[in-house]
Amino acid sequence: MSTEAIAQSIDRARRGVGVGGSGRGPRRGRSPGGRSRIATLLLFAIPSLILLVLLNLYPVLYAGQQSLRNGDLLSAGDFVGVQNYLTVVGQPQFQRAAVFTVVFTVVAVFGSWAVGLALALLLRTRIPAGGFFKVLLLLPWVVPVVVSATSWNWLVATPQSPLPILAQALGFGNVLFLADPLLAQILVCVFKVWISFPFMMMMMASALAAVDVNVYEASKVDGASSWQTFRQITLPMISRSTFISWILMTIFSVNDFPTIFLLTGGGPVNATQTLVVLAYQTVFQNYQTGPGVAIAFLMTIVLVFISVLLYRQIRKVNIE
Amino acid sequence: MTTNNGSSFTRRAFLGGSTAAAAAALLAACSPGGSGGGAGGGKALKFWNMPWGGTQFNPLDKKITTAYSPKGSLPPATYQTIQWANFTQTFSSAIASNTGPAVSSGGGTQAFQFAQQGKIAYADNLLDSWKKNGIYDDFLPGLVDTLKTDKGYAAVPYNLDVRVSWYNKALMQQAGAEVPTTWDEYRDVCAKLKKIGVYGFGQGSGAGNFTGSHILTAFMINNGGGLFNAKKEPDATNAANVEAMDFILELVKNGYSDPAAATYTSANVQSQWKAKKFGYGWDGAGLPQGAVGDVAGDLLVGDPLTSPSGKTGGLYFPNNIMMYKNTPSQEGSEAFLTYYYKNMAQLWTKNTGIGLPPLKSIAETAEFKQNQNNVKILSDWQPIFKTWAAPGTTGLFYNIANTVDGTQPMINFAQSIFGGKTDATNALTTLQNALEGLMK
Repeated sequence: MSTEAIAQSIDRARRGVGVGGSGRGPRRGRSPGGRSRIATLLLFAIPSLILLVLLNLYPVLYAGQQSLRNGDLLSAGDFVGVQNYLTVVGQPQFQRAAVFTVVFTVVAVFGSWAVGLALALLLRTRIPAGGFFKVLLLLPWVVPVVVSATSWNWLVATPQSPLPILAQALGFGNVLFLADPLLAQILVCVFKVWISFPFMMMMMASALAAVDVNVYEASKVDGASSWQTFRQITLPMISRSTFISWILMTIFSVNDFPTIFLLTGGGPVNATQTLVVLAYQTVFQNYQTGPGVAIAFLMTIVLVFISVLLYRQIRKVNIE
Repeated sequence: MTTNNGSSFTRRAFLGGSTAAAAAALLAACSPGGSGGGAGGGKALKFWNMPWGGTQFNPLDKKITTAYSPKGSLPPATYQTIQWANFTQTFSSAIASNTGPAVSSGGGTQAFQFAQQGKIAYADNLLDSWKKNGIYDDFLPGLVDTLKTDKGYAAVPYNLDVRVSWYNKALMQQAGAEVPTTWDEYRDVCAKLKKIGVYGFGQGSGAGNFTGSHILTAFMINNGGGLFNAKKEPDATNAANVEAMDFILELVKNGYSDPAAATYTSANVQSQWKAKKFGYGWDGAGLPQGAVGDVAGDLLVGDPLTSPSGKTGGLYFPNNIMMYKNTPSQEGSEAFLTYYYKNMAQLWTKNTGIGLPPLKSIAETAEFKQNQNNVKILSDWQPIFKTWAAPGTTGLFYNIANTVDGTQPMINFAQSIFGGKTDATNALTTLQNALEGLMK
């Protein structure tokens, strides 16, 4: 296979079209019949669109006006403008939660991606009982987070729990996995990676399956090492799926409420508090609806910004 | 052509039908008379109750409720169990949309929040009628007044959630310790328990576990302090509180408290009792009924402690039943509650697991007296209990719900004290500032 053919294969793979496929380029123009068909499809979609807009837009607008008031769960309160936003942004607790949200998200996204990709590559090779392992590896994603969080709590919470006993046996002393702020932060990040890697593994496995094996054979003929093959062929060819999975996992992680709330409740002393947990506690424990919703809105804005950046990256990959 | 026409007709009809269905669904959802209906919209009176006990509680409670046969034209009652998970949201959204109950129990401070919003029907008339039929005088001393506000009684007492000391008698014997009655004696007990590898200050303040902050407040009240002054303003940094927290920090720093306790859930705390790692500690009245395994029979309620200032005291939560303005008949709500209070004794005599009874007549039944721990709590602890409002006032009030009752500043405060890496004044000052920020 020539270099040009490999380039074409890579391009087709990025567009999700196999070597033997019949992928067509984007259509340059639309016939009147095509326009009519689109109009018909749009008409079919209108009822659902109306419902979607009403069901999503109304709560968003309602929440938006709540964030500009000083009400609580029962009363709307007085209009205070952007005061809630200014107040929460100036609070050290918000700043700490924002920093930990970034750390938690970065570790979750790249940690789960690294583990997921490694396992996806491993499972491509022929190993005995590969199907069994695939199912087994999906369990952390499949099991309800309430169950897994409770299990992890049982593993680490008290000095009589299995992991502290193991740590003591290994000479680390009395390790307080949840009571020590740093260890608690590490623990929730590791837990998040653990429950998230199966998703990444599936995403990467499907991306890897779309890569033409002839490309690997060609690179082998050209004398590329395993690392070079991974860096120069595998990663670029799965980059589109990678960016999509990063976007999704960023959204999942920033909005991940149960992991933190069930495992540590944001403690000890707010050490593991993320923005979504802070927003919940502000609204439902402290009954401060305005500041709580303001936090949620700020999170949304940042998430949209990050998503746009990553989408641009996907477009860039497509263009290249 | 025919086919085309037919196809075109079908498509339009489908689209039109879909749009109409969507619009109808939306209109139905937005209509005040939409699904769910308001309590005031139907004939029956809605009674919402929480799962206060074990699995047998709500079925028996429902049986009592549905057996209610009102006189004349008064409405009958329907029964709905409301789970504790997200109950604040459940009540808030229902009350705000006028689809809530006519009568309900709920969180201990819930009535004061809804009273602030003008949603509560005050119980003054009901209590007046109960003065005539004997129910009023049947309440344990001081209990009714904990629910009194400036505008009237926000609710009536239903069951008591308490914080008391517990000890494992076998471990205490093994350590050669006697049940303490003063703070000094308690410190000595902790030291003796530590020698056998057992913690004497057993508690927890992890995810979803608010007991730790309750215990700290109980020690403040024990020392004549508390979190609110007579003006119902936060007063966390008073001298009695500082002295109490100094004492607690001494217990923590001496290793009498489990170093991981700051993050213990209720289940973790129970597992420590079960593992015989806690020899003396603080919890609710239902500790032996929890997952404490074989040690349940060894768990006994301790004596109230006398602080260095010579004071006694503790913290309790008078859970209550409230009436709402949104009712088919206020007279009906009151008639139902009178019936309910006359017939609810079996919730205790049949051991459903509900908290301690509010009525002396129930406390005096042979069935209730079979549980000596509960008898001791009512005889020794109940007279000295105070509410969150201590030391300033006796009655609960609106701001308690959004400042101290399960709020994040209280959890942070407890975790910082149990972590032992702070001093009393700093921790209390941080708490005071946070509470002031939450006041409305």
